[in-house]
Amino acid sequence: MANLKRIIRGELWYVLFLIPGLALFTLAVLVPLGMGVGYSMTSWDGLSPSAKYIGWSNYTRALADSDLWSALWNTFKYAIVITILVNVIALLLALLLDSYLKFKNVFRTVFFLPGVISIVLSGFIWKYNYAIGIPNLFSYFGVELTSPLGDPDYALLGLIIIAVWQGIGSPMIIYIAGLQGVPGELLESARIDGANTTRTFWHITLPLIAPSITINMLLVLTGALKVFDLVYVTTQGGPAFSTEVITTYIFKISFSSFQAGYGTALSMIFFLILVIVTVVQISIFRRREVDL
Amino acid sequence: MKIRQTAIFSAVLLAALVFLFPFYVALLMALKTPKETFDSFYGLPSSLNMANFASAWSASNYPSAMLNSFLITAISITLIIFVSALAGYSIARRNKPFYNFIFIVFLAGLVVPFQITMLPLYKLGKDLGLLNTHWGIALIYGGFGVQMGVLFYAGFIRAISTEIEEAAKIDGCSTPGIFIRIIMPLLKPVTATVLVLNALFIWNDFLLPLLYLQDKAYRTIPLQQYFFFGQYSSDLNLAFAYAVMGMIPIIAFFLLMQKYIIKGIAAGAVKG
Repeated sequence: MANLKRIIRGELWYVLFLIPGLALFTLAVLVPLGMGVGYSMTSWDGLSPSAKYIGWSNYTRALADSDLWSALWNTFKYAIVITILVNVIALLLALLLDSYLKFKNVFRTVFFLPGVISIVLSGFIWKYNYAIGIPNLFSYFGVELTSPLGDPDYALLGLIIIAVWQGIGSPMIIYIAGLQGVPGELLESARIDGANTTRTFWHITLPLIAPSITINMLLVLTGALKVFDLVYVTTQGGPAFSTEVITTYIFKISFSSFQAGYGTALSMIFFLILVIVTVVQISIFRRREVDL
Repeated sequence: MKIRQTAIFSAVLLAALVFLFPFYVALLMALKTPKETFDSFYGLPSSLNMANFASAWSASNYPSAMLNSFLITAISITLIIFVSALAGYSIARRNKPFYNFIFIVFLAGLVVPFQITMLPLYKLGKDLGLLNTHWGIALIYGGFGVQMGVLFYAGFIRAISTEIEEAAKIDGCSTPGIFIRIIMPLLKPVTATVLVLNALFIWNDFLLPLLYLQDKAYRTIPLQQYFFFGQYSSDLNLAFAYAVMGMIPIIAFFLLMQKYIIKGIAAGAVKG
């Protein structure tokens, strides 16, 4: 008995320390997730106090919803292009900024700067840059341009450019940190053995910064799949559904069309997709990493 | 070699100018009158005229939005730091299955993005009276931030030697006493990281305020900008003056805290 008391006394504070964090986590993540699973099985409109249970109907409806598939297709196109562009540009800039470049700290600040302003701001600035600023600049050279955001064929590309502009900073910092961990002796000895810059990069630098590549690929891809703000503040999914992504589609279904039950079912499907993408990506990239 | 250096430098400089171009246009628009913009889009303003800023200031409710953004960010971050440090300490110091399980639950939560749960979260906020208050939205940010926070604090505390704590325990110091007197003073570096990363995210967040702060009086800066831009889309010079005003606080924060932000991002990548 005394023993038990001592264990409780010893453990009590540690358990108490966990409680505030767990409580907030439960409120913000666990409860809404549980509620979401529940609502996804109902025909709830989002307003009425009660919701009718309809089983898996929302999920079967989703499979046949062609708008959902085009939104998913747009989302993946957007996210994959961004993942490639952001990682290539960020790595290139990191390589340049890691060398003996003058003012490299100033450059690092400049490339990071777009990432610190809100997406509402960057969306607004770019919207008018596309509409007025850039066409005005190109008209000096006699080139006629119109805003890509108004053209269904180019609107998604227009958004991708904004997202790349804003998204380079963090991956670049992570690549710079990774490059600083590559031992100089190794690069030196490769050079003495006659390897040129390209070969040293492919065979030494790249395998050694693989952990940075893994984390950047994952962060950029999952971040881009979850895009909401940028689409919401610039194109609202238009023109002609060309920039409708999964989150804005869910938002519209849930809040504007009053089909909250169906909206949460779509959220759950999207959640499943995100989990699969994360797991697949980690298992692919982890295999390619080397330990020093 | 010299030529190559110059070529690289010029290429990076060109890229930097491209990155700065949208900011330049925003500033240019903010300083010019509609007529000057019409006459020559890229021409410099005839005088350094602050009229756009003055009218944007009076047309908007800028001080109120600043105060809301500041209060919400400050309350949320205080909460995140406090609860994450406590939970992180427990997890770091009790290497037992129960605590490890809790740790994994926090980490698993990171794959549940807010975009998935927005509707239930809105309903929950409405039922619990969390909408249109500073503390209500801060509680939710607290719940998001604690996951990453615990990861940072547990990792940091694990690396601190337990010797001093054991000596204090023998001298009769209680667990909260140890936490406050010995651990807390050591946590400054990791607290700086948690603070800057969350500050950038919360200050700029748009979707949660869009759902939780529908009352005009509670709008944060990004939310107010969104409505302001919608309302003044015909007076672009005014709207851009407001955009520039809205950028100033966060850019100032970034320039001041740059060292910590960069360290934090690099540290976060290693943890992940």
